[in-house]
Amino acid sequence: MDNGKPNRNKIRIDGKNGAMNEKNNLNENKSNPGNKNGLEYIDACSQEEVIGIMHPLVKEWFFGKFKDLSLTQLYGVKRIWDRKNILISAPTGGTKTLTAFLAILNYLVGLAVKDELENKIYCVYSSPLKALSNDIFVNLVKPLEEIKAIADSRGIKMQEIRVGLRTGDTTVYERAKMAKKVPHIFVTTPESLSITLTSPKFVENLRAVEFVIVDEIHAMANKRGVYLSLSLERLHEESLIEPVRIGLSATVAPIEEIARFLVGFNDGKDRGCLIAQVPLVKKVEIDLITPAEDILEAEDPENQKRLYKILDALIQENRTTLIFTNTRAATERVVHHLDLHFPDKYADLIGTHHSSMSKEKRFEIEEKLRNGELRVVVSSTSLELGIDIGSIDLVVLLRSPKGVARALQRIGRAGHMLHANPKGKFVVLDRDDLVECGVLMKDMIEKKIDDVSIPNNCLDVLAQQIYGMAISKIWNAEDMLKAIRRSYCYHNLSKEDFYDIVSYLAGDYALEQSYVYAKIWYDKESGQIGKRGKMARVIYMTNIGTIPEEGFISVELIAPAEKKGSGIGKIDEGFLERLKKGDIFVLGGKKYQFMYTRGMKAYVRGDVSRSPTVPSWFSEMLPLGFDVALDIARFRGLVKERMRNKGDCVNFIKDYLYVDSLAAENIYRYFKEQGRFSEIPDNRTMVVEKFKQDKEYLLFHSMFGRRVNDALARAYAYVAAKLRMRDVEMGINDNGFYLAGESLDETKILKAVSADKLEEVLKLAIEKTDVLKRRFRHCASRGLMILRSYKGRTKSVGKQQVHSHFLFHAVKKISEEFPILREARREVLEDVMDVKRAKNILKEIEDGRMKVKVIHVPLVSPFGLNLFVQGHADFIRIEDRIKFLKRMHELQMKVIGE
Amino acid sequence: MKINYIGKCLLIENAGKRILVIGDLHLGYGESLRESGVFMPGDLYSDIVKEMDNVFGVVEKVDEVVLLGDLKHEFGKIMRSEWKEVSDFLDYLNEKLNGDGKENVKMSRKIIIVKGNHDVITGIVTAKKGIEVVDYYIMDGVAFVHGDKDFAEIYDKKVKYWIMGHGHPAVRISDGVKEEKYKCFLVGKWKGKEIVVVPSFFSVNEGSDPRDFDLGLAWNFDLSKFNVVVVGEEKLSVLDFGKLGKIK
Repeated sequence: MDNGKPNRNKIRIDGKNGAMNEKNNLNENKSNPGNKNGLEYIDACSQEEVIGIMHPLVKEWFFGKFKDLSLTQLYGVKRIWDRKNILISAPTGGTKTLTAFLAILNYLVGLAVKDELENKIYCVYSSPLKALSNDIFVNLVKPLEEIKAIADSRGIKMQEIRVGLRTGDTTVYERAKMAKKVPHIFVTTPESLSITLTSPKFVENLRAVEFVIVDEIHAMANKRGVYLSLSLERLHEESLIEPVRIGLSATVAPIEEIARFLVGFNDGKDRGCLIAQVPLVKKVEIDLITPAEDILEAEDPENQKRLYKILDALIQENRTTLIFTNTRAATERVVHHLDLHFPDKYADLIGTHHSSMSKEKRFEIEEKLRNGELRVVVSSTSLELGIDIGSIDLVVLLRSPKGVARALQRIGRAGHMLHANPKGKFVVLDRDDLVECGVLMKDMIEKKIDDVSIPNNCLDVLAQQIYGMAISKIWNAEDMLKAIRRSYCYHNLSKEDFYDIVSYLAGDYALEQSYVYAKIWYDKESGQIGKRGKMARVIYMTNIGTIPEEGFISVELIAPAEKKGSGIGKIDEGFLERLKKGDIFVLGGKKYQFMYTRGMKAYVRGDVSRSPTVPSWFSEMLPLGFDVALDIARFRGLVKERMRNKGDCVNFIKDYLYVDSLAAENIYRYFKEQGRFSEIPDNRTMVVEKFKQDKEYLLFHSMFGRRVNDALARAYAYVAAKLRMRDVEMGINDNGFYLAGESLDETKILKAVSADKLEEVLKLAIEKTDVLKRRFRHCASRGLMILRSYKGRTKSVGKQQVHSHFLFHAVKKISEEFPILREARREVLEDVMDVKRAKNILKEIEDGRMKVKVIHVPLVSPFGLNLFVQGHADFIRIEDRIKFLKRMHELQMKVIGE
Repeated sequence: MKINYIGKCLLIENAGKRILVIGDLHLGYGESLRESGVFMPGDLYSDIVKEMDNVFGVVEKVDEVVLLGDLKHEFGKIMRSEWKEVSDFLDYLNEKLNGDGKENVKMSRKIIIVKGNHDVITGIVTAKKGIEVVDYYIMDGVAFVHGDKDFAEIYDKKVKYWIMGHGHPAVRISDGVKEEKYKCFLVGKWKGKEIVVVPSFFSVNEGSDPRDFDLGLAWNFDLSKFNVVVVGEEKLSVLDFGKLGKIK
């Protein structure tokens, strides 16, 4: 086996200047070739090698349709045929799905011709997308029909190879049909897979599964992925043979972690996996557009016209354009404004596609795209995943996509046809966006992919899966734990955590009410676990899943009087949580002042003239990752060193970021202003600005990505609040965070947070925050503490919210260490925040590798402006209810006294 | 006539009688949650008893207890725990009032239950204890009602006070940044009557601020002119915050 590293010279991503950086240091430590703890990097096979294994019928069919095997197929097909676990990572626009199926079809056709096809499921295919039918038709059903036709014309007899689709949308009738005629290839979602695993009849069909395909595995670095990893182990447990695992991924890092996540562990040992990193052979053209001479002007909403002129020109130059924004609201806005600025021009030629649209609407847009009926589609994130959308000429990234992998994924949607080159353009909207997109583009060109992280030992998901396992059969607890630990996400699950969840599910915490609640029984003597209640399967089927339900809040006017009571639209719950009384926000192009909420309604005033205090896209904002943030900080440092000579500096920026002079000039000017006003923060200096407005502000220029900033912000805010025993406000974004309070002593505050105490401080700091309460609701629902659907009734999100509020307090009374509460804390600390990296930053500060420099400024500096105007994100509540009440009472008495 | 605020309760001293007034209790709420598939740990009932113990600890002798309605949570049905909790709670009150004397006959004079909108069938349980559920109760110029319905009798000239529950009044208090909600009494005047709206006794939530939400009372009170007496959550204290309309 040739284990030379993949030839990266084949990767040709060219920037505007066509430059290609040879110094590719980051890649080297990310993809060590050769065998490493059971992981092995592989190279492509030759065409002959792959053709050599192909059944004559499959060969005839394949080359009747395609000229050659694609590079992805050369990497994957033979290895799957050889029954090796394999992770195939290839840029989108590839032929991944067919690669995975080709070897399996080849095998099944061979059996079918020999009349040896059994009545069992040979292959399980899991995809996170529910709308699979089109892809499956293209990649499975049609090929099978065509192969059958060839066989017929040759007079070759062949058994029928059946494909079964089971998702949340599959009807009872279809399910019943499937139970009678077992499909050979079973196509499903992570959720439906785990439901089928609780069906004793259907499990019989899964006793000898030979292949498992996990598609879009790069999109599974979340609780849904954790959930799937356990379902795969449950499948493994039911299957008498060990199925080959095939993972299909877009460009992702760290690839070895994804590979381990795919295959899991066999009682502590790595199961082994081949890694195929398929290089991109197509040339990707990327470019960055600055919408105005002086980008500051472009930030002015009055000047938005220019932006839409640029978009219009781009759309006109290309046949089909796909515009990615980051949020649903922005998606709507772009469509609205294009129509406003170019009346009737785009009426039937423009489409919107985002995840809160109905399924039917989205299908319609996808279909129109495939048929080439649309000139432009605007999407948030929903078109990132691999739904076939036909051929796109240009992808426009409006605002930073916040990560290299995501940017590649989006641009990869262009040129989906085999031989077309993907084309992508960043269109930046403000100066922070300009710098960020510049660095992102550089990282893309230099192939530095940012890391994803997979959550570990999630107790809510565990509770759901243990319940599922108990429904399928009676287990010995220790065997169950063993099976769970085979999953990568639980391989170091502690015994205590496992038995805590068992005991929670067995109703131990519910005291005398346990008879109502217990979902499983656990017999300590025999060590056995089983389900409880006749309704178990129904409860399981109707309540599983890991994607939290987010509610939408109706917004209603309370003023002006003549419009009182009229509804003006909906905002999402996450956004509502960011609002405080008196905040001004924009909805549907108009300004409103938030007053209060009641259940699932928010009441606002319409008669406001002040500027918005909260941007409407805030809650949906994708977080900037750590790696890119550090690259931005490094870039800041490099520019800072070169500030003195303008010409050299601008040239440096041009070369370094692969951008044009206009962009470079704008960046230079931005940095210059910051340097003059305060100081340019960089990768070695964290600048902390102190200024006074209505309150005292400490603004930290911490360029470490949102999750690290979130952790640092809450820790500093907590100690600040503790010092004066008053609540402290804080604002957080990707570039930094601020604290605001009556009086902030920066020397004491900075000293009070240290690396070794960070976790301890944060645990206290998050205890009374909205984010913990919100995550608790998600965890309570995932962990089946709140059944969304029970006895035929479904709870609205509003009701779940009310219930979770009571639960939160009730649970704390029972035990501060209640497992689902613990999971909510873990989720906040490790998934919402990044405690580990925040700790490393603090260590760097402590050993002097990073300086903290406090600067007094009269008002917020240019680099801090976006953060400042965005408004607060949360409080650290320190003052207790009773004290607060007394203080307010004294105040009120003074008012009355006057 | 003297009205004393004892935490969430009132102690009315009138015509030589000491009457303890308790707001909406919603017994059985915990089980009702469990019935709908919510894992509600803990025991709301024993929390209520603990709080009542504190109240009885300071009020000394009580001649009568008036429950302002919504004794139980579910409307049309009675759940096992509701039956038990209502029954236990009445026994508890009886013991507090009469010591160990278990004579049901005398009890009816001591415990008065005003019918709430949730109390459609509460009477079935209380009848076992010999206690009647009444629409309203008038005692020496003080009328006790639940608050959801109006009755001609309470407009009698001799009636000077209306004491009611039902609204679950609470108030949001904010310093512009932080905001918290507290249970409160609303005290004011309407058509020559002195009105007291009593907060709910059950502790699952605070209740509603009338500035946000109509309390659903049967009369058109101008609540902005009512005084807000906030439940202090500590040693059964209360704090007068002045008129609701003047609270920011």
